[in-house]
Amino acid sequence: MNILELTFVASVLTATTPVVLAALGGLLCSVSGVFNMALEGQMLWGAFTAVSFSHLTGSAWWGVAGGVAATALYSAVLSVLAVTFRADPVVIAVGMNLLALGLTAFLMRQILGVGGTYTSPDLHGLPTLAGMGLDHVPVIGPVLGSQSPLVPAAFVLVAATAWWLRRTRSGLRLRGIGQHPEAAESLGLKVGAYRHGAVLAAGALCGLAGAQLALGNVTLFSEGMSAGRGWVAVVAVMLGGVRPLRVLSACLLFGVAEALGFRLQGAGLPQQLADAAPYVITLLALILAGAAGRRRRTPLETA
Amino acid sequence: MDMLHQMSRAYRPYDGSQGTRRHSMRPASKIALLTSAGLVLSLALAACGGDSTGPAAASASTKSIILITPNPVGTDSFLQLGVKGAQETAKEIGASFKLYESKDPTSIAQNVDAAVRAKPTVIVGISFSFDDVFTTVPKQHPGQSFLEIDSCPKAQAPNLTCVSFKEHEAAYLAGVEAGLLSKSGKLGVVAALDSPFIHRWIDPFFAGAASVNPKATGTPLFVGGSNPFSDPARAKSQAQTLIGRGVDVIEAAASGGNQGVFEAAAAAGAKAFGVDVDQCPQSPGNVIDNVIKHVDVAEAAAIKDIAAGKAGGVKVYGLAEDGVGVNALDTDLTSSKCAVAASPDVIAKVKQVRDDIVAGKITVADPLAG
Repeated sequence: MNILELTFVASVLTATTPVVLAALGGLLCSVSGVFNMALEGQMLWGAFTAVSFSHLTGSAWWGVAGGVAATALYSAVLSVLAVTFRADPVVIAVGMNLLALGLTAFLMRQILGVGGTYTSPDLHGLPTLAGMGLDHVPVIGPVLGSQSPLVPAAFVLVAATAWWLRRTRSGLRLRGIGQHPEAAESLGLKVGAYRHGAVLAAGALCGLAGAQLALGNVTLFSEGMSAGRGWVAVVAVMLGGVRPLRVLSACLLFGVAEALGFRLQGAGLPQQLADAAPYVITLLALILAGAAGRRRRTPLETA
Repeated sequence: MDMLHQMSRAYRPYDGSQGTRRHSMRPASKIALLTSAGLVLSLALAACGGDSTGPAAASASTKSIILITPNPVGTDSFLQLGVKGAQETAKEIGASFKLYESKDPTSIAQNVDAAVRAKPTVIVGISFSFDDVFTTVPKQHPGQSFLEIDSCPKAQAPNLTCVSFKEHEAAYLAGVEAGLLSKSGKLGVVAALDSPFIHRWIDPFFAGAASVNPKATGTPLFVGGSNPFSDPARAKSQAQTLIGRGVDVIEAAASGGNQGVFEAAAAAGAKAFGVDVDQCPQSPGNVIDNVIKHVDVAEAAAIKDIAAGKAGGVKVYGLAEDGVGVNALDTDLTSSKCAVAASPDVIAKVKQVRDDIVAGKITVADPLAG
């Protein structure tokens, strides 16, 4: 059991990618000052719509596009209710998460014609990078070869978001709106428009997360297949605050915990303990972050 | 398998303000309140909807069957087969059929009450989740026939019939095939949960393999997590982990996650086993065989007995009764897409082991009994 072996890195990346895409969406909302807890439901919706579009069009990339568009549309529920009508985003998110569970199960029977699990040799999944000519490159080949192009894309998106928030005018404005909406408004910024944009972008990212889960990690749709990954993303946003690289680290931490859990199970660790590992790590990280925060005594606003 | 079903989907309450910028959020306007209430209501409807049928009065003159599931049928291939069996039997004996899907095991009692009021010929409950309700309700309604599939309460009323299975016998046969076909001698199982019942698919599988290949070793991995019975991505990742350790035959006992195992096996040139139903067509050439439980057959026989007035007792279905089995024992194996069809010597060995088990020469240890 070599932790540094390349297949281990590959399984960490597989586990991390859907989570990090959803967490990036959660981060954008968090930066703009909207608490987005609906990542789980949106990821499930994204997985379902991506599979449906792939099934209907016969193309995985149209599936991804359809999943992204449909999930952005789904996130409009949160955007309209929380931003325009100022309803409690937590209540709406709980509703959206449960709705996604019921609605995907129902629509699955209508569109895909089966309940439970939909799989078919005709369903097109995303191509692997090995199939795109990467398999002969050392190191990168074994690590990324079996992955879909969305895996490296997710990490590029994190870097791009970090740069955008830090270096661009619009990124600065979004941060300002999150930190002090009244001040931003008095400067003539359209707070609502920025927040709508952030929530819809989060929807699109969750759609991408779902597409990666259902067409990249595997090629099928199964009821409730997001299986808590959206919640992990919510926690990653809480841990990482508004810093993309910290959120990415939190997601990687979960990915490592999951992949390590499988290997420890194989070595005889009880499943229940391996299951608890990500949550134990979360608690430890929260405690450490809390302790560090208290030492610095810095107000949250300047973090 | 799948008897433990999905965990209740618990949504942990998160404190909405934690970790986010505090921004002024004025008290929710009436519109917002109404819309969120509407949303919650609509999802509640969506959650209860689907194809669950509400209680309806059945006319006393005709035969009728009411089947109650402990969970939504959803991804559960075991429940799907149970529903199919009852439906077909109903058609065969000219009875009407109604399906009451319980949202979760806590709503079983309400469904049983509703079923009792409808006074059907027989009320069928699937899984051990009915042990509790079927201990008391049949005694209160001595004129009503009840049938419990896959389990039996300790105190069995005379108007309750039970059907149970010896899954471990079929898992042992699959293990024999795996032991003969594995090149590395390393076997794996990706199972949903580490529970005694699910070990019926794991321990006998390894025991069967060891009976033909003493050097065979077995590693089980459990999906677990928040949705153990429908997490194909995780199941696939675990299968890849097993393959990375040199495992070349994996039994998939992860319900909705099985397809993930088949994908991992297909990509790496390993082989897999399915469970409950014939899963070979899902990944042609990569699935060796399946650990099959003929819930529908057993259910049909029991319902017909009850309809003919022969109620009560426990009927145990093992290899001898054709209640469990593997595809290799079927006569139409060549038309199935199972990989075992290409190995006649393995099929012959499996048939011989089956005969030995039926004759009592081999006893398969039941993990539930120990």
